[in-house]
Amino acid sequence: MISSEPRSRTLDFLRASENPDGGWGYRPGGSSAAEPSAFAAMALLAGGGTEAAGRGLAFLRGCRDASGGMGLAPGASSGGWMAYAGLLAFHTFGAEAEAARLADWILKLEDASSRFSSADIAAIARTYRYDASIPGWSWTPGATAWIEPTAQFILALAKAGVPPSNARLVAGVKLIIDRAAPSSGGWNFGNPFSKAHELAATPLSTAIALTGLAAAGAAEDLPAVARGLRFLERSLEGDLSTVVLGWTLVALRGYRSRAELIPRVAARLEGLSRPDGSYRGNPFESALAYLALVNAPSLVPQAGKRAGEERP
Amino acid sequence: MTRRELLRALGTSALLAGPAASGPAGASQNTPRAGGGVPHQVGVSACPSYDREALLEAVRAGWRLSRPPDVRGKRVVLKPNIADFLLDRPIHTDARLVEAIVIHLKSLGAAGIVIAEGPPHDRDSESLFRRTGFEALAERQGLRLVDLNYDDTRLVKNANARATRLREFHVPATILAADVLISVPKMKTHRLAGVTLGLKNMFGILPGIVYGWPKNVLHWNGIPQSICDINGTVKPSFVLIDGIVGMEGYGPILGSARKAGVLVMSANALAADATAARIMGIEPARVEYLAMAQRARLGSLRPQDISVAGERLSDVRTDFALEPEYAYLRAPKN
Repeated sequence: MISSEPRSRTLDFLRASENPDGGWGYRPGGSSAAEPSAFAAMALLAGGGTEAAGRGLAFLRGCRDASGGMGLAPGASSGGWMAYAGLLAFHTFGAEAEAARLADWILKLEDASSRFSSADIAAIARTYRYDASIPGWSWTPGATAWIEPTAQFILALAKAGVPPSNARLVAGVKLIIDRAAPSSGGWNFGNPFSKAHELAATPLSTAIALTGLAAAGAAEDLPAVARGLRFLERSLEGDLSTVVLGWTLVALRGYRSRAELIPRVAARLEGLSRPDGSYRGNPFESALAYLALVNAPSLVPQAGKRAGEERP
Repeated sequence: MTRRELLRALGTSALLAGPAASGPAGASQNTPRAGGGVPHQVGVSACPSYDREALLEAVRAGWRLSRPPDVRGKRVVLKPNIADFLLDRPIHTDARLVEAIVIHLKSLGAAGIVIAEGPPHDRDSESLFRRTGFEALAERQGLRLVDLNYDDTRLVKNANARATRLREFHVPATILAADVLISVPKMKTHRLAGVTLGLKNMFGILPGIVYGWPKNVLHWNGIPQSICDINGTVKPSFVLIDGIVGMEGYGPILGSARKAGVLVMSANALAADATAARIMGIEPARVEYLAMAQRARLGSLRPQDISVAGERLSDVRTDFALEPEYAYLRAPKN
């Protein structure tokens, strides 16, 4: 567990980096955006600070668009991947009406899978060796589905109480498993192969994929999960960035079999904290690190439980 | 779904048969010309290695030969290509070259220099910048290193808008604040586009928070079309291509190293790309997006419109291996 002094300083940093519009950017003074605002608000709420957190929630409400989705910032032309963070925050704040509407929008959000013909799907299978008929989530509506938005939407939907038996969640889990890197285990952005070449897994995509799978209650002994966990464990031998350590800690908390790694990862992450309590001076990364270190139920899947079964 | 739409979605040109553009205008030797009346000037300087002194000398030499922008007192943004990192593959613009450019720009009195890139696949730019040496370079030279994927943006109307359906682009504030924008790509073949050079490198200015990782919405709008529209909207002031060691075959990530030993520079991106393509043994008019860029009046591919100074192209031509589906790009030898 993070010691109280750095924890307090991280919250101080988040309070100090709040923008006048009540949101947060990816750097202090940067334009407010949905993802850092949602994470900062959740971190402040987890730390007991309701005032700034409430302003963050109000900012997120302003990010919603007419269709019920959530864009990058207020006035954004259309919603997209950042809605996962908004849903996590709405649910965490108990804004269940907003959460339900956003969850409904996310569940209806289409990727490109329905536009592919059987010939397209066969061609994709030859080149990239994945099943393009499986629907997941793309970064922008209507484009190809990728690992990270799919896993993050699964996490948010599961946290918001959408049952893992929901067809979109089932398909999302199937997509993630289908696109695992065969040799190394783990995941990259979403192409296991390109023609004859196998593409390497990356720690960040793997950590986020495992987080989504844990939230959906995927079994630890599922081969793709077990191999992904081994890849992540091997990655810990190298130099890892703040965002990778943050998501790795979130992911590991979702799996009992890797519980022994958690103190080591937490210590490494905490060691990256700057004197001002921030992580790289980045509000999003600081909030992610805080939430991961305090094991915040708003974000972290709990080992052995499907997200909907958790009690905050 | 049309065949082309599928190719965009797949992110592959593996199914593309035959040349996208025919009738190469000047598939022959691109002879150096006198500068008078020729629209575009390109400097080609030999650089056998990434040795610091060799780099500094080659950058200075090429700069003099290529009608460079005046950088004195200007804010300069250098945009390298950091598409990914693999230990054994020359994917990214070499940080040692970028450092030599920084030193040169400082000597010319540039008021501020920023290095900026929005990596296309991996959101973990902290790791990418560290592993590729750019983090250490920025620290050594006291520069800001900006991940364009998370930069503040402003909407800029698509100046071309004939090629894609995109009416506007979210352009990073760092790019818009530049007095001088220098595209510093790696000389590579590209499995989707044929080659990736100065124009294609501009894909990387668009932020992932809007366009995703990969920037798949651009693929769905057509890679050649997106390249033309981006470059029609945000024109680099100068292009400096890292052709010391490039990538051939299944680029831009999984190809093999190919040493060409040159730097290619120009204030016109299309002229730089056309010249680099010729050095790679590729007929530029057969590269779909280069031909499209010429039609969009971003410059000319024609040898008679490009004055090449420095190394003779015939001396430095280094045929880059092409995937079978791109064999049609090969320029005949004279």
